[in-house]
Amino acid sequence: MSKLFPTQEIGSLAKPAWRVKGYRGERLSKEEIAEALSWGRKLGIADMDTLVKLLNGRDSAEKRKAMLEWSAKYAIRFLETVGLDIVFDGEQWRSEMYEHVARNIGGFEFQGQVKSFDYRYFNKAACIRKPLYVRPFYVEEFAFTRDSAKNDVKVPFTGPYTIVDWTFNEYYEKRLHGKVADFRQKKFEAKRDFIFDLIAEVVRPEIGKLVDRGAKWIQIDEPAATTDQTDEEMKLFVESFNETVRGFNCMFSLHNCYSNYEVLAKYACELRNCSQLALEFANRDNQQLGTGSIRSGYKELTSFEDNGFTGNYGVGVIDVHTVFVEPPELVRDRILHAAKIIDDPSRTYVSTDCGLRTRTWEVSFQKLKNMVLGAELARRAF
Amino acid sequence: MPNGVNRWISMIGCYMTGIFPRPKELISITRDYERGRTGKAELDKAFSDATLKVVEAQSSAGLNYVADGMLRWQDPLRPFTENLNGVKIGGLVRWFNNNMFYRKPVITGELSWKKRADPKIIDIEHLPKNLHWKAILPAPYTLAQLSEDNFYKDKTELVFKYARLVREQIESSVKQGFKYIQLSDPALVYKPRLAQISRDEVKIAGEALRLAIGGVSARTCLQTFFGDFCQILPEALDFPVDDLGIDFYETDIDGLKGYKFGKGIALGLVDSRGSLVEKVGELVVVAKEIIKSIEGDGVSAFFLCPNCDLEFLPWERALEKVKVVSRVAKRLREEFDE
Repeated sequence: MSKLFPTQEIGSLAKPAWRVKGYRGERLSKEEIAEALSWGRKLGIADMDTLVKLLNGRDSAEKRKAMLEWSAKYAIRFLETVGLDIVFDGEQWRSEMYEHVARNIGGFEFQGQVKSFDYRYFNKAACIRKPLYVRPFYVEEFAFTRDSAKNDVKVPFTGPYTIVDWTFNEYYEKRLHGKVADFRQKKFEAKRDFIFDLIAEVVRPEIGKLVDRGAKWIQIDEPAATTDQTDEEMKLFVESFNETVRGFNCMFSLHNCYSNYEVLAKYACELRNCSQLALEFANRDNQQLGTGSIRSGYKELTSFEDNGFTGNYGVGVIDVHTVFVEPPELVRDRILHAAKIIDDPSRTYVSTDCGLRTRTWEVSFQKLKNMVLGAELARRAF
Repeated sequence: MPNGVNRWISMIGCYMTGIFPRPKELISITRDYERGRTGKAELDKAFSDATLKVVEAQSSAGLNYVADGMLRWQDPLRPFTENLNGVKIGGLVRWFNNNMFYRKPVITGELSWKKRADPKIIDIEHLPKNLHWKAILPAPYTLAQLSEDNFYKDKTELVFKYARLVREQIESSVKQGFKYIQLSDPALVYKPRLAQISRDEVKIAGEALRLAIGGVSARTCLQTFFGDFCQILPEALDFPVDDLGIDFYETDIDGLKGYKFGKGIALGLVDSRGSLVEKVGELVVVAKEIIKSIEGDGVSAFFLCPNCDLEFLPWERALEKVKVVSRVAKRLREEFDE
């Protein structure tokens, strides 16, 4: 991208109440409909009478599909209105990054909710049979976004290493039962078999369809990449990424967050066809203004450079787990500090730490607006 | 099983080793609470109801010691992070190699309990009077390793400071009637990037344990998980605890051979991170193999347990695993009594 410090979101936005209830076929309150109208006006959405009619209408498959499209349209306009250069649809078509994929693959069975942190949980599945490609799960969403967006589009794609790491591995562990005595070895071999079956049977076919439909940039989301930091696990992760993207005529990037970056940095240069690393830093940082040693949250960025990663960076400058709205000046200083470490400013993209799904639209709007303003301040200062 | 093995085993018990998963109804209310759809009173009631369920699951399974399930703990360090002066709640950090996160304690000043009395980090109201109670707390070494220290001279000073604070909590728990105290120490064995933890580090951890738990009037255990216990041998044999807890999904069994334990062993044989429910018969075989391999090395008590906190599983699956723990212990007792 020719523009200095292009801005991007990582993926998700919260789903408004009218989207959640509308999709479920539940009755909406006047306040919820008013909220849809208010945001619609703010975002310049046309034909809102049709939306209101839809929201008041009866539940049907057509209505559910239309709800996905309306909320995607809102999210795309939301991201474009705040001024992001690279957008998607806030993942409005997806229940959640993991569950959406697991629900659309054969061989997975949900077991129940497990804690992620505090009062946050995720619905965890078990793999009980060999994964099977049942239907496309991102293609329709991408096509809608591509047709609706004015700006460049980047498709977030939950990576195979993360899907496997977040899934109970019943099928492959059972398959090795009696063949491998050592518990540790059995778990590792079962994980490896699961990952490469998933890539071959599900992930690559889906990427192929996205590329055929015109996807130019796919972001592989691998928050689990450094969950297990042993050398053999990190090599497995690298191998899984390289196999995932192998041979496609498309740009790929990697998003990883809340991880050990000292470890990831050692392996990042082995990732093939990885044009950008989108990383979380704001969560680790403080809120004081300035560049240099004050920017303690960004120290691991140096490790990626020291270890020879030559691609671009999506530098997280917005903490997605707090309602604190970063002032543009703080965003500016984080960008300038990162750009100095990276040395080549053209390799610095400006990002949120992760998806904003846990924040309200009001907070997300302000955070992203300030991110865009901060990027502009950084451009002027550079 | 070799003849005469029952002569040297004084006890085969069973218990839980950490945080329980929250049941569905509680999850739903915590979500509502966070979104402002329900109040604190409803949340408290839901926690109380769920704690009763956790206690019932353990008592009906016949566990030797019953814990409160630690359902209110937002992460395995949070009661310390929230109840100590000199600590700020930091950013989210991954909990070892799990898809679960804790808030990093950031040390900014002299550490002390905010309340001199017990800050109620264990829910004793719902523990039955007729059963033995087990308290589970983080070990000082793990607390220090997972904190960001901006105040003390070095990690060693911090680990001893934590040890004194942990001791205050343990003494309070013992006064309340707890018969078993477990300190959880995953950081001591989780070393994915190093060939082995340094001997000096293990010694410091042991000295901190002496300060934290040495000589207390209850049965005590250092529970290790997420890593190979063999790394801390032989020093761990001198740790001032009655029992040593071992995660057998991470530990090389052969590496335990040849050491004279002289302590009880908590056998972490039920996998808290896998949803497959273990077959009782198969675990009995593995347990017997372990017991046989260290027979005569001064081990007199064994406790069957999950390898770590059950909160990595959904509620229903955790309940099944509690039953497995109990059944394996029962079968072993029957076989040793023959």
